[in-house]
Amino acid sequence: MAESPRSGPWSRPLLRQIRRGLFASPLDTVITVVLAVLCGGGLWSFLHWVFLQADWAVVVENIRLYIHGRFPVEQVWRSWSWLGLLGVLCLATLMPARMLPRPVLRLLPLLWILILPIGLLLLAGGLGFEPVKSRFWGGLQLSLLLTLGTVLMALPLGILLALARRSSLPLLRWLTTGYIELTRGMPLIAVLFFGQLMIPLFLPEGWTFNRVLRAVLSLGFFVGAYMAEDVRGGLQSIPKTQLEAARSLGLSPLLTVALVELPQALRTALPSLANQCVASLQSTSLLAYLGLIELLGISRSILGNPSFLGRHLEVYIWLALLYWAVCILMTSLARRLERTLKVSDHH
Amino acid sequence: MASSAAPSHHSTSGVQSGDTLSAGPELAVRSQGLDKIFPNGFQALRKVDLAVAKGEVVVIMGPSGSGKSTLIRTFNGLETIQGGHLEVLGYHLDADNNQKVVSKIRHHVGMVFQSFNLFPHLSILENVTLAPVWVQKRDRQTVKKDALALLDHVGIREQAHKYPSQLSGGQQQRVAIARALALSPQLMLFDEPTSALDPEKVKEVLETIRALAAEGMTMVVVTHEVGFAREVADRVVFMDEGMIVEEASPQTFFTDPKEERSQLFLSRIL
Repeated sequence: MAESPRSGPWSRPLLRQIRRGLFASPLDTVITVVLAVLCGGGLWSFLHWVFLQADWAVVVENIRLYIHGRFPVEQVWRSWSWLGLLGVLCLATLMPARMLPRPVLRLLPLLWILILPIGLLLLAGGLGFEPVKSRFWGGLQLSLLLTLGTVLMALPLGILLALARRSSLPLLRWLTTGYIELTRGMPLIAVLFFGQLMIPLFLPEGWTFNRVLRAVLSLGFFVGAYMAEDVRGGLQSIPKTQLEAARSLGLSPLLTVALVELPQALRTALPSLANQCVASLQSTSLLAYLGLIELLGISRSILGNPSFLGRHLEVYIWLALLYWAVCILMTSLARRLERTLKVSDHH
Repeated sequence: MASSAAPSHHSTSGVQSGDTLSAGPELAVRSQGLDKIFPNGFQALRKVDLAVAKGEVVVIMGPSGSGKSTLIRTFNGLETIQGGHLEVLGYHLDADNNQKVVSKIRHHVGMVFQSFNLFPHLSILENVTLAPVWVQKRDRQTVKKDALALLDHVGIREQAHKYPSQLSGGQQQRVAIARALALSPQLMLFDEPTSALDPEKVKEVLETIRALAAEGMTMVVVTHEVGFAREVADRVVFMDEGMIVEEASPQTFFTDPKEERSQLFLSRIL
């Protein structure tokens, strides 16, 4: 019927598609109508709640806390500067490559590494900046710092572990395999507890180190084990003939790994590695239960304030939006990187 | 692809460490009683004796599984040897497969594979400059200039900034040849260089190899191309079941083979 050319509203392609997809038979029509009523009702009551019932004061009045935590007000420009730099770096990375001058383009990877020490300097102080204790770091700023630190630690660790796991030295191989399997067998929250609560007990009296650093170390060691497996998958996807070509050109084993294997392996592993990076951001929220006032932690303490009693829904929807926005940013950065590397990818 | 336009490093008059050479200065490769046994117990080479003189073009033929690829892969240490003795460009190798010696050999021996094996993540130019820059530690600018000259020589200069996946099989194989030549090798090994190519691309690759032979390069070529062997080879070596069955000039081998197994093989492919 639909094929026969006839006039009327159903002859337009879009409408025809709708009719075929949603109203093809009486049963289809019933299902469509019921689902439409349910969805419409849900959307209506959600919008009704958002605009008429919800009290967004809990978000609006605490914006500074969500972003900077309890960072001293007079020093808050330092937190802003770091977030600003991070934003500019994201923008520069996302811009089409031809719009950037070549030197900047070359420096981008280095800048992504440097942004961490710059952040630490701006937040912690030193070099002329007034020191700010890490317990005053918080909010989105701390979540981003934790994520960045974790990724920058886990990626090199993952690469080293993946290489060690296929080493010709049995001891090294066993140790790394054991480490990776053990770490993957533990829940992250247990690892974080260990890092936050147990490590200080084992250290000699008076030896403490920063709990943000402890969190990054625990997360980094954990995520590194997962990344190692992604990199290993990438390494395994490289045909043996590539190694033969490298060897016959006289490349040493080290050069073969650095110039032939890793570049190809990381390209293959990139989507999974990007996945781990996003997962790292989500994982930082577990630290809320260990006393760090990162994004989730600060929200919990805002909810503890009697004047915002019972405003959970508002806060968690707002949090979901924030996490989602950062995740979208991270995945677009990853896609950008994939596109840049893609030229040589289709063989 | 005129052979007169050869860059200087195509010449085979490389410096020879004469004191390590025991069998006279004329030999590029000499194998004596070479045995190759794979870990699964399969013996791919049985007491192979072969000598390749400098400047000589040797074509190795034989049915699949006869050990011809394995043989040339032992020449640059891609396959270890389990018995016998091997001497390549004055370097001695035996069943201990000394890696130091192997890596020295590889600096002077170029190899071209059936499936090209270009590095897909590097541009054509980077494929060619990789080894000179990192292995020979030569100056980047000079290496780049030489690489472009080599690519020009094999007729792919225009594609220098493309990636391997953007080139045809024939072009990729010519890049692979340029990549091997970039180290100024004294010996070139070709492992079925045209077997993975579309029929219409075979000629351009064979032309490149032919030009190289005309320049006096020492070459060992494993191939099924009878026409090529007839024209370019100084000597044809026929292998079967891991042994050299017959060695002869191409004229003799293709018109009047001595051995029964050679006759049988030729009757199948001619």
